[in-house]
Amino acid sequence: MKRQKRFEELEKRPIHLDGFVKEWPEEGFIAMMGPNDPKPSIKIENGVVTELDGKKRADFDLIDLYIAKYGINLDRAEEVIQMDSVKIANMLCDPNVSRQEVIDVTTACTPAKLEEIISKLNFAEMIMAAQKMRPRRTPATQGHVTNIRDNPAQIAADAADAALRGFPEEETTTAIARYAPLNAIAITTGAQSARPGVLTQCSVEEAAELSLGMRGFTAYAETISVYGTDPVFTDGDDTPWSKGFLASCYASRGLKMRFTSGSGSEVMMGYAEGKSMLYLECRCILITKASGVQGLQNGGVSCIGIPGAVPSGIRSVLGENLVCMMVDLECASANDQAFSHSDMRRTERMMGQFIAGTDYISSGYSTTPNYDNVFAGSNVDAHDYDDYYVWERDLAVNGGLHPVQEDDIIKARNYAAKAVQAVFEDLGLPAIKDEEVEAATYADTSKDMPDRDMVADMKGAQDILDRGITGVDIVKALNNHGFTDVATAYLNLLRQRLAGDFLQTSAIFDENWNVISAINNANDYKGPGTGYRLWEDKEEWDRIKDLPFAVDGKNAKL
Amino acid sequence: MAEIDESLLRAIIKEVLQEVDTNETKIDFSDKNGSGAATAVAAKPEATDAPKPLSWFKHVGVAKPGTSKDEVVIGVEPGFAEHLTHTLTGLDHKEVLRQVIAGIEEEGLHARVVKVYRTADVSFGGVEADHLSGSGIGISIQSKGTTIIHQVDQEPLSNLELFPQAPVIDLPTYRAIGKNAAKYAKGESPVPVPTVNDQMARVQYQALSALMHIRETKYVVIGKPADEIQVTFD
Amino acid sequence: MAEMDELVKKIMAQMQQQNDAPTTQSTTASAPTTAPTKELDASDYPLFSKHPELIKSPSGKGLDEITLDDVMKDNVKADDLRITKETLQYQGQIAKNAGRPAIQKNFARAAELTAIPDEKILAMYGALRPYRSSKQDLEDIAKELETKYNAPICAAWFREAATNYESRKKLKGDN
Repeated sequence: MKRQKRFEELEKRPIHLDGFVKEWPEEGFIAMMGPNDPKPSIKIENGVVTELDGKKRADFDLIDLYIAKYGINLDRAEEVIQMDSVKIANMLCDPNVSRQEVIDVTTACTPAKLEEIISKLNFAEMIMAAQKMRPRRTPATQGHVTNIRDNPAQIAADAADAALRGFPEEETTTAIARYAPLNAIAITTGAQSARPGVLTQCSVEEAAELSLGMRGFTAYAETISVYGTDPVFTDGDDTPWSKGFLASCYASRGLKMRFTSGSGSEVMMGYAEGKSMLYLECRCILITKASGVQGLQNGGVSCIGIPGAVPSGIRSVLGENLVCMMVDLECASANDQAFSHSDMRRTERMMGQFIAGTDYISSGYSTTPNYDNVFAGSNVDAHDYDDYYVWERDLAVNGGLHPVQEDDIIKARNYAAKAVQAVFEDLGLPAIKDEEVEAATYADTSKDMPDRDMVADMKGAQDILDRGITGVDIVKALNNHGFTDVATAYLNLLRQRLAGDFLQTSAIFDENWNVISAINNANDYKGPGTGYRLWEDKEEWDRIKDLPFAVDGKNAKL
Repeated sequence: MAEIDESLLRAIIKEVLQEVDTNETKIDFSDKNGSGAATAVAAKPEATDAPKPLSWFKHVGVAKPGTSKDEVVIGVEPGFAEHLTHTLTGLDHKEVLRQVIAGIEEEGLHARVVKVYRTADVSFGGVEADHLSGSGIGISIQSKGTTIIHQVDQEPLSNLELFPQAPVIDLPTYRAIGKNAAKYAKGESPVPVPTVNDQMARVQYQALSALMHIRETKYVVIGKPADEIQVTFD
Repeated sequence: MAEMDELVKKIMAQMQQQNDAPTTQSTTASAPTTAPTKELDASDYPLFSKHPELIKSPSGKGLDEITLDDVMKDNVKADDLRITKETLQYQGQIAKNAGRPAIQKNFARAAELTAIPDEKILAMYGALRPYRSSKQDLEDIAKELETKYNAPICAAWFREAATNYESRKKLKGDN
C-alpha cells in the first residue's frame, strides 16, 4: 500500500512506543467489571460470613477468609449490599453528603460491591469524590531518592535537595541489595540535615526492611506488598496472616507503615484467575483494612503498564485510589513509574490525582533524573520540577512541591554530604572523600560522581549490621563532628517513636515536628468554600506564586 | 537500550501471542466447565502442550542436592527452552545458557542445570537452585530472561544480584552473571555486574513481559521437584 | 469480629492489672503514674504536645530525659527509643474513637509484641510465611506467645493461621 504521509508522521510520535493490548478477560487483561467478576453478595450467620461475593465459605481462599473476618464492617454489610450502587456513587460526589456518612457505608462493602460503585463513576466524578474522600486535608507528595551507583554522598545531597522542595516523605532503595543500611543512613541523615521532620524509608526485602527500621536507620516502610489472588500472594512470599503480623511488628517498634498493592500485579505475576484488575485490587484494599494498617500505596504502582495497556485502565487506576480512600485508608497514589514515552500521556496519567489532591500524589516522584532512578524510573523526575511548579501555579493546585533558590540548594546539598561524610568516618565506614562531597554538591546524576570501592562499601554495610549499630550511634556520630542541629533532628525523629503520633492515618511532620494527620487535619471538604484551598494556605501559595523565572514587571530591564 | 533486532522481536511477539492464543482456547473451555483458572493445588501443568524434545537439553532424572563445593546450579523456569525458546528481546535460550555456563567455567567451576517446576517466579526458582547447589549459590532464569543470583541462606525475595529488567540483559551480561556467581561460590566478593537502567524498557515491554510470564506459569506443577538437565553445546 | 473484641477486652484488662502490679516483663519497668481515667480521643492528639506526661520509654524515662545531652552521656540506649504498650493502647483509643477500630486491633497486637526482642519477632514473622512451618511449629509459637510473653491475641493469631494454612495448603511441604 502506498503510505499516506500523515499516517507515516503519526507513527513517529512517541506514543507509538507505548504498549497497548486488547482486552483478554480470561488472563485478567481487563480494567474493571470483567465478565468473570463475581456479583456482590454477603451472607452472615451467627456473626460469621458464610458467603462472600457469590462464593460459599467452603470455597474461600485465604484472602476471602481474612477479608470476611477482619476487613468488612459486618454490622451494616447486609444492609449496604442491598443499596443501589448508583446511589452510593452519587453520595461520593455529592458535596452535601459528608465524608463520614460515605465512610459509614463504604466500609461495609464487599470487594465486588466496591468495584461496582466505582464502575458507575466517570473520570471527572472520581476527581470530585477523591477531593472529598482523601483522609488528610492538606495534600502532599513523596519522593524517590536513589542512584544507580548507590553513592551515599549523592543520596544524602539529593535527600536534602528534595526536602527543601517540600517532600515530607522520601524513599530510597538499592541497586545492590547489600547496600541497604548505607542507603538508609544516607537518606535519613541527608533529609534531616535540610528539613527536620521528613520521614524516610528504604525499600528492600520485607524482613530486611523491618530490621532497618528497628535499628533506627529509617522512620517508616511502604513496600509491604499484598496481592489479590492466592497464588500471587504466595509468590510474594507471604499470606494475609503473615502480612498482618508484620504490620503489628512495625507498630510495636513505633514505626509508621503502609501496605502496597496495585492493579496489574496479578497479571504480571501470571495468576489473575480471570478477574478484572479493579476487582482484585479491591481485595487488596480490604486486606489492608483488615490488617489494621493505616494506609496503602496503590494505583498500578510498578505494574502500571498493565492497566495502562487496556481500555479505561487509567480511569480504573484513579478508581482504585478512590476505593482506598473510601475505606478510610491513607492513599499514596502511585504515579511513581515510568509510564509513557509520550510527555502528553504521562501528564494525562497523573492529572486525576494531581487535581483532586491525595495524601501523596506521587509515591514517588523521582527527585533525581530518571537515569538514576533505581525503581526503574518514575512518571515525573527531577528534570520535570519546573514544569510541575508551573502546573501548580497555573491551576492554583498544591501538588506538594514548591520552587527553590539555587544557592539554597547548593548549601543544603553540601551540608548533607558533609554530614553523611562525618557519619561514615565515625562509624568506621569506607571514607567519603572531600572530592565526593564537592561532586555531590553540584551533581545532577551519578555520572557526575567519582567511583567508590563498592566491595569495600558492601563489607562496611555488613559490618555495621554485625556490630549492631543503631540510630543512637548516628546521633552521636553527627554530634561528635559538630553537626549538632542534624544530631538533634535525627534524635527527634527517634523520640517521635515513643509518642506514636505518626502511626495515625496519613501522618507527616512539618519542620517543627508538628504532626499533621487525618486526626488533627481531617479532610473537611463539603463543596466550594470548604476543604483545602491553596490560596488560603498563604505561605505555600506565596512560594508557588514566586516562580524564580517569572518576570517582575516593575523591575524588569526592558 | 541494547540494540534489538526489531523484526525478530516482532516475530517473537507474534509467536508468543499466537501460542498463548491457542493455549487460551483450551483454558477458556475448561473455565466454562470448572471452577476457575489457576488453582494453586493443581498437580498437573495447566497447559497441555508437550515439551519439545531437544537434543541439547536432556532430562536425566530428578535433580539431587550436590555436595561439590565447586558447582553453581542454574535453575531454569518451567517454560524455558522446551515451550518458549527466546527471551523477551529475542535471545535464544540455548545461547543464554551457553553464556552463563561459560562464565562459570571461566572461573574454574562446574555448572549444573536443573528445570524448576514448582514455580515460575525468578526468586523462588533461585531458592530451589541454591538448595540443590553444593556451593549454596544458585542462578535462576525465567523464559523472558529475568535472572537472579541467590545464596542458600538468604530470604527468598532477597538476592546477591538481581537483573529485573529482562530487556536490557545482553549475552555478555549473562556471561558476567555466570562469572560472578562462580566468584560468590568461591567465597569472593566480586564487583556486581553493572546494571543498565532503562526506564523506558519497562514501558515498552511490560505488557509483553506479562504475556510471556503468564505463558510460563501454565507449566508450573505444584509439588514436582526439579529435573536434572544434561546440556550439550555443539 | 466479636471474638476479637473479646480478646481485645481481655488483654486490655490484663494490661491494666499489670500496670497496677509490678511485672516481670522488662518493658513495664515503670508504669505511668498519671494514667488517664477516660479513653483518649482526637482532642488528646498529638500526645507528644498534649500529653507528654503519658509518654515513657520502656525503661520508664520521660521525654525530658532523652535529650541530646543524655545521648552523649550514654544515658540513652537504643532500647529507650521504643514505643511502650501503654502508648500503643492510647494511640489505639484515639484511632478507634476517630472511627478506625481496625487500627486499634493492630495496635493491640503490637502492644503485645513490644515485649519480644527484635530477633525473635523477625523469626516469628518468618514462621508465618508460606510453606515455612508445620502446624505444630505454629502451635509451639502460639504457646510461647501465651506463656512466655503474655500475648494471647498474637497466640490466637498464630492458631488461626495454623488452622487456615492446613486447610488451604500453606504448611511446610505443601508446595
